[in-house]
Amino acid sequence: MNDLINDLYQEIILDHGREPRNFGECDPHNKSADGHNPLCGDNLKLTFFLNDQNIIEDIKFTGEGCAISLASASLMTEKLKGKKIEVAEEIFNDFTNLVSGADEDLKVLNEEDSLYALKGVGGFPMRVKCATMAWHAFNQALKD
Amino acid sequence: MDNSKTLNLNVRKDFPILSKKILEKKDLIYFDTAASAQKPNTVINETNDFYKNHYSNVSRGVHTLSVESTFRYENARKKVQKFLNARSENEIIFTKSATEGINLVAQTFYEKFMQKGDEVILSLIEHHSNLIPWFFLRDKYGVVLKFANIQPSGEIDIDHFNSLFTNKTKIVSLTHLSNVFGTELNENAISICKDKNVPILLDGCQSAAHLKIDVQKLGCDFFVFSGHKTYGPAGIGVLYGTENLLSEMPPYQGGGGMIGDVSLEGASYAELPAKYEAGTPPLVEAHGLGVAIDYMNKIGLDNIIEHENEITKYAFNKLNKIDFIEIHGGDNKRNSIISFNIKNVHSHEVSSFLDVEGIAIRAGHHCCQPLMKHLGVNSTARLSFGVYNSLEEVDKFVIALHKCKEFFNK
Repeated sequence: MNDLINDLYQEIILDHGREPRNFGECDPHNKSADGHNPLCGDNLKLTFFLNDQNIIEDIKFTGEGCAISLASASLMTEKLKGKKIEVAEEIFNDFTNLVSGADEDLKVLNEEDSLYALKGVGGFPMRVKCATMAWHAFNQALKD
Repeated sequence: MDNSKTLNLNVRKDFPILSKKILEKKDLIYFDTAASAQKPNTVINETNDFYKNHYSNVSRGVHTLSVESTFRYENARKKVQKFLNARSENEIIFTKSATEGINLVAQTFYEKFMQKGDEVILSLIEHHSNLIPWFFLRDKYGVVLKFANIQPSGEIDIDHFNSLFTNKTKIVSLTHLSNVFGTELNENAISICKDKNVPILLDGCQSAAHLKIDVQKLGCDFFVFSGHKTYGPAGIGVLYGTENLLSEMPPYQGGGGMIGDVSLEGASYAELPAKYEAGTPPLVEAHGLGVAIDYMNKIGLDNIIEHENEITKYAFNKLNKIDFIEIHGGDNKRNSIISFNIKNVHSHEVSSFLDVEGIAIRAGHHCCQPLMKHLGVNSTARLSFGVYNSLEEVDKFVIALHKCKEFFNK
């Protein structure tokens, strides 16, 4: 099998794509945003609860999309749960760099991270939007 | 099968891009002609030649180059007129795209013939480019839009369509060939419009290179198509309109080239077709489209259609036998387009997987979100064929599909 495809679809991606973790809606939540890829129609709704210490206490998503977008959303919620907002923002920056091929200079993510599995998206420029949809929704929710 | 093979051998060499290797080793199998067709050498060389040897602005100067440019631009119009069998060159308006053609009609037809509360009939299978220009009329002017249902076969439900007409129906706009199903518009839809004396626009983006078009025989009042889907350059579109309607409707954009006489108090407008061609037009692209039409005529549109029908039928029968494939639309005849899904695999995955095998297909909503919603899917994968495709490519594609299914269900 082609290396590019194996890099793109690592087992963990296929697994999270098939069975996304933290799928649903946070109750209660105080932050939410919709993610949408107008080019293909994939969409998701992200909800999370930010407590008074600025920690993401719980985070969930619903939606429909390809394996890459679902796995990315699923891995994101696993990674961000329990993190302080400042750290989450650094992860966001690192992740967007990682999937767009600018991974020399990451601050908080490293090869041990499950999110690193999405690095293969860099080989498919048209799929970067799939991988970042959930993350942009997260970023949007912080701004709102 | 023999005919198709012969045809292939003759035309593949005309398309330089087909010798490109994908990821440095895979032969390119281009199954995305419905999104945009590849360009034959003759179009590439002729547009090059225009810039190198004949280029100047059109219809303005009196010098040699201006004459040469104008000749090419207007000659392209003649070729389009023949291609569509329009009555006159005055009925052929060059636009930048089919989309611009629909916007032009929506805006100017409204201005002349419609008011608040008047109705437009569309259908559920329309491309966004045949929805949004009419949404603008709804949002800005209170025009009412009605949408014909579709049958499971992918065809418009003619009875429902017929029931949508009222005395306020002013115009109908429908796709001539669905970019999702590949199904042709039922001719009855056009005769119903004729009977009720309501003008009809046909979106011919998918039909122009894959069906024989005769606007007089069809009886449509407007017909739009784009150059890039008919083996010509991007950036050129065509609007056909009957001289009666185009004469009565007001200009779309104002600018140079579309005027009769201008003073600071006002202006009179040019005659057709210049009236609708404000600004310097995409003149080289228009010439390129003319060359593309010559190219199709040289092969023979009948041959092209026969060739594509054969491939489409072959691919349909192969896909139809695979239990993990779901084909959208019925078993009816389709032209050069097949939409499908691999069960439990998102179309993005299918497209990325095939890409690595050198196969280009389209994945997504195909600019038909209302239709996707109706089908209950988020996206589909779409195969679409052109003059350069072959049965062998379909065989390779089917093998790749099996590999794809195996990979994602491992």
